Formats: sequence, structure tokens, C-alpha cells
Amino acid sequence: MKKLALLMLEIKAIMGNSAVVLTMFAGVIFYSFLYPLPYANQTPREQNISIVNLDRSQASYQLERMVDATPQITVVQRDHSIKAAEDALLTHSNDGISGISGILVIPEHFYKDLLLGKSPVLAYAGDASFFLVYGTIIEGLANAGGTLAAKIKVSHLLTQGLPADYASNHVSSVKLNMKPTFNPGMGYIHYVLPAVFVLILQQTLAMAAGLMGGTQKSGHGYWRQYGSGQIFAVRSITLVGIYVFLSLYYFGVGFEMYGINRLADIPTMLAILMPFLFSTCFIGIWLGAILPRRELVTFVVLISSMPLIFSAGVIWPLEIIPSPIIWLSSLFPSTPAIQAFVAANQMGATLYQIMDKLLLLWGLTFLWGVVAFIPFKRSNESD
Amino acid sequence: MTFRTQWQLFYRDKWLFSCLTWVPILLALSIWAIFFHGTARDLPIGVVDLSHSQLSRTISRQLDASATLAVNDKYSDVSQAKNALISGDIYAYVVIPGQFDRDIYRGQSPQISAFYNSQYILVGKLVSSAIISAVGTANAQIEVLGSLSDGNTTTQSAMGRALTIRTQITPLFNKNTNYTQFLVSAIIPALWQIFIVAGTILIITANAANKSAASRATRLSVGQVMTTLSFYIPLFLLHGALFLLWFYVGFDWPMNGSFVALLFAQFVTCIACMIMGAFFYFLTHDAARAISVAGAFTAPSFAFMGITFPVTDMNTAALIWRNLLPISHYIEVQVSQVSYGVSWIVALTQLLPMFGYLLPLFLTYLLITKRRNSSELIV
Repeated sequence: MKKLALLMLEIKAIMGNSAVVLTMFAGVIFYSFLYPLPYANQTPREQNISIVNLDRSQASYQLERMVDATPQITVVQRDHSIKAAEDALLTHSNDGISGISGILVIPEHFYKDLLLGKSPVLAYAGDASFFLVYGTIIEGLANAGGTLAAKIKVSHLLTQGLPADYASNHVSSVKLNMKPTFNPGMGYIHYVLPAVFVLILQQTLAMAAGLMGGTQKSGHGYWRQYGSGQIFAVRSITLVGIYVFLSLYYFGVGFEMYGINRLADIPTMLAILMPFLFSTCFIGIWLGAILPRRELVTFVVLISSMPLIFSAGVIWPLEIIPSPIIWLSSLFPSTPAIQAFVAANQMGATLYQIMDKLLLLWGLTFLWGVVAFIPFKRSNESD
Repeated sequence: MTFRTQWQLFYRDKWLFSCLTWVPILLALSIWAIFFHGTARDLPIGVVDLSHSQLSRTISRQLDASATLAVNDKYSDVSQAKNALISGDIYAYVVIPGQFDRDIYRGQSPQISAFYNSQYILVGKLVSSAIISAVGTANAQIEVLGSLSDGNTTTQSAMGRALTIRTQITPLFNKNTNYTQFLVSAIIPALWQIFIVAGTILIITANAANKSAASRATRLSVGQVMTTLSFYIPLFLLHGALFLLWFYVGFDWPMNGSFVALLFAQFVTCIACMIMGAFFYFLTHDAARAISVAGAFTAPSFAFMGITFPVTDMNTAALIWRNLLPISHYIEVQVSQVSYGVSWIVALTQLLPMFGYLLPLFLTYLLITKRRNSSELIV
């Protein structure tokens, strides 16, 4: 019964600690709405460009219309010289909203060269300060250029006396079918959120666990009457228990709300969740024990967020992150957990396929458990 | 409170000292280390070659020749490749159908399918455009060979027929489309903002603790808060100036604007961030809660800056939140100065929304004086 009493005391202490409650509940719910906010439109569309048409032939006007018709691009202005278009690009973004992000130049004799089979060169210059805008425009131009090229090829074949049916099927000798897999709409929310949600769970849980220790470091209370081992175990179980529910909110309600894949079954999710939450909780307890003031726990966890999310291998590929950075980031549960959750839940990996990440998570749980318990015991038993 | 006493407090408090001096620098270096390789090269992909012909090997070689891609594995059937894609061993696999060469020789346009992992959008886009261009090149080679073997054209004309329209793409302001320049130059300012807002809270906490130890009767006055915080402005500005120096002198990234305009924008941003930090502290009157709120405010700011995902595609709610963040006004100045080299007058107009921080400043003033009056009544 003594253990049950401790559990009740622990729950009361957690719920009575306003900093912990604010971080855990308010933080987790607030973030679930705030983080997806900028990406609500999923993919950038209708980026503004200017066209400088030096050819003014029928084919060039057709190309202009094709470019404008792509979902990626809107032609907002036409300039008579490259200089004028350049000026427009530079004065752009005074208000950050209007203006153009790219210039398409259709060269002189474009149509003539096409007819002569001389492969005219379309010149495109884009503002590469914003990669997604730049990439979107390039994609749109490639589509429009490809369509026009195909049309022209068909008409070439037709003039050679081949039947229309044959011509339209033989635009190129190899057809390429590109299939985006796992995130067919290339949605930005689907890309960022599964990773960011895992990081939010880790950061808020570490803060909560650390704040508990930090708050109880000075002063007397029930935690002085029980053994450090008991407090350590009960605190971890309580916080992890609360976080199982918060995780259900993220991976269930949250993902449902934004239409994100949920391919993993509950046992798989729990298999990743358990070592992830326990190791995270231990890191929090460790921070709470070693840092002299409780606000430093929040501070340290806060500033670690950006390096952790960018080194987790989802936003930026692991293959090009320097190895020492990968080793370092693998010490934190977010890295294997993000990879495991994304693989299982978004890509449908089986437990067997993510076994290496699970083993790493259990290894971290053991490691951080030991690392956290030593200073926790010292801090809890000293006055 | 004199400069001397503040310096002693700052220097003696090892944690405060570290958090405001070398820790931000270490973190900035770690961000740079993550993005050290600015371009994605040799991303692993797989090929499922069901044709085993000379032409299918041409496609495979062409894929491997792309700087972005590396054909790491050949699979004998699609399900193996699919599993490798799910396990994350490869980012894409290309299926070349059986009888590929026969279909080409008969002019029947066989279809190649490429399945790429679009869960990772950044890699997905790179891999997909690299595959498109590699297959396009292989396609052109095959067509040129075809036309030449007819014997009635020159190589030049055969090439023209194969590649009807060519494109020449010029990325402006970031010539090598280098991700280091693109991401690091935006992430570091976002980190800088976190350090100023949270650092301000740590500073006020340290001073409040010091104060209460000396004389419990009075709380910090508005004047004391202001003189205390102004002591740290040069420190935050030094960090700002350091990262500018690092980017545009150290890395020699292109810089078309004026450093004076940037430094002025940093000064205004720094004041705005400190106001927000002080506001959070006096709102909660507890350092831990204040930093939690500061975290909620600043941690997602990178997403709202509009560097990775364009501002023009954000909805109204996102734009409102974006405008509340000091750093999003700063980054507009930084991009327009660095990339477009606009005049300093434009920079000034971009900073006009910063006047909005007078409101939290006023609220902070009210919070401090109210608290002080009530505490005096108790005494």
C-alpha cells in the first residue's frame, strides 16, 4: 500500500506543479496546432514569374500559355527586355508578398530553330534564396517545356507521314513513370509533422521530468521519506503513463486531423513508444538532478531542439550528415525514435525492419537510466 | 546597479555566463556541422533490371553517373526493392521492364517506372529530378543512335531532333543551390532569437534572486530592469555581428547589401526579443514557466520565417503568428539586403512592424509597477 500512496503523492505533485502542467498539457496541445500552421496549404502553388518573350512567334505564345496553365506557375507580368525583368526581380519582396521569383526568357528565333531541329535554349533565372519556390518553378517550367517539346515532336512525325496514333505514342523512345511513394501528394505537413511531433513529445517530457526534480531539489516533502529508487521508478512510470495518452493524442487525433498515414498497428507503436518515453524521461530526470536551477532544465532542452530535429535524418538525409554528428545525435532517443516511427507509421515497415532502431532505443533506455539514477540518488539524499 | 556589480553577477554565475557566451556559439557550430555538406550527392537508389540487356544497362549506368544518385543495389524482383525502400536502405528504385531492348528496337516505347520516397520531400525531389534528367539523357542517347543508324542525318541534327527544347537554368543569389547557405543562414538567426528571449529571462531571474538576497523588501523597479538588460545588449549584438561576419566574410557567401542596415536590423530585433523575454518573465513571475512560454513562442519560428516554405502560401492564421515573431521581420531585411541588395530605406520600412513591440513593452511596464506597488503595500 505504501507504493500506491507514493504513486498518489507523485501524481498530486505533478498535477500541482504549474510549470510541469503548463509544459506538458498546454505545450503539447498548443504545439499540435501551431507547428502545422505554416504548412496548411501543403504544397506551394502558382508562384509568380515574368516572361521575356524575344521571339513573339505563335509557338512562343503557346509556350507562355502552357507555362501559365501549370499549377506551379502564374505569369504575372511580361517584360520587353531582360534588364526590365531583372529590375522587377530585385525590387520584389519589399513587402515580402507580391513581386516575381523568376524570369523565363524565350530567345529570338525560338520557333525558327524549333522547325530547323536546332534545339533552341530556353533560359530561366530564379531566386534561389527560397529553394521550395525555386524548385516549384523549375518543375513547372520543365512540365510546360516538355509538353511543348512533345507537341512539336508529334507534329514533326506527322509531317513525315506517320499516322497520328503512332506519332502521339512515340514522342520519346522510353516512357518514364514517376511514382511518389508514401506521400503521394508531396505534402509538406506529411513530411515535417511526423518527425516534429516525436521531437515535441521528447522535449516536453524531458522538461516535465527535469522540472519535477528541479522543484523538489530544495525543500522537504514525501520524496525525502521514500528511497530514491522508489521515487525514480514511480516518477518514470507516472510520467510515461501520462505521455502514453499524450502520444495517443498526437499519433491518433493529431495525425487524423491532418490526414497523415497511420500504417503501424498499436503493438508496433507501443514497441517503439515504451523505450522512447522511458529513455526520454530518464534524460529529464538526469537534467533535473545535475542542473542547479530548474529553469535551466527548460532552457537546455529548448536550445537543443533545432540541432536534434535537423540531425534526426528525416528533414536532412543521414547520408550527407557527417558521422560524428550522427553518433552524437544517436545518444538522444529522438533520433532513432523519429526514424522508427516514420518508417513504421508512414512507410509501413514491420518491426523486423526497424529492429536496429528499437535495439538502439532500448540501449539508450538502459544507458540513460544508469546515467540519470546516480546523480538523482545523490541529489535526492543530500540536503 | 552599476556596470561593475552586474559584471560580477554575470561572471560569478557560471551557468548564466555559459548560456550567454560560448553555448550559443557551440550550437551555431553544430548546426553548421549538420549541413556541412551543402549538396546531396550519391543518394542510394536501386535498380530492378528485368531485361538484362545492353540498353537497360545504359539506363542503369546513366543513373549512376548522376552526381545526386548512386546505384547501390540491383534487385532481381520488385518486392525486394520495395522492402529496401521501406527499410530506408534506398531512396528510390527504378524498374526496367523485361524485353526492354526488343521494344526499343521495334519502336514500341517501353515504360520505365521509378518509385521514389516522397515521405522525405527534400530528398524525394532531388532524387526524382535526378532520375528524370538521367533517363532523359539516356533516352536522347538512344534516339540519337536510332536516327544515326538510319544513316540520313548528321549527329548535330539527330541531337536536335532528340532534344527539341533545351533549358538553361540559372539560380540567382545562391549560385550552387547550396543547402548550407540556404538553411544555415536562416537557422542561426532563429537560434539567436531563442537565445535572446530565453537569455533575457535568465538574466532577470539571476538579478531578482540577487536582489531578494540583498533586500527582500523591494522588487526590481522598471529602471533597474532596463539598466540591467541594457548591459547585455552589446553581448547579443556581438553574437549577431559574429554570425554575419562568419557567413559573409568567413564563408564568403554573396552579400549585395549593406552591413550597417543589417546591424541596425539586428539591434531593433534584439530590443524586440528582450521586450518579449521581459514580458514573459513578469507575466509568469517564475523563470521556469516563463522559459516554457518563451519556448512555445520562439521554438517553431524557423517554420514561420518563410525560408523553407514560402510566405505566399501561408494562410492568414500563420501570417498573424509570423508577424508576432521578431525574427521574421529581421529575416526579411536579411534576405532583401543579402540577395537583392535593396536600399536601406527599404530595410527601414521592413522594420516598421517592430513598433508593435511597444505594446508588450507597455504591458511589461504595467506588470512591473503593479507588482512593485502591491509588494510595497504588504511591507
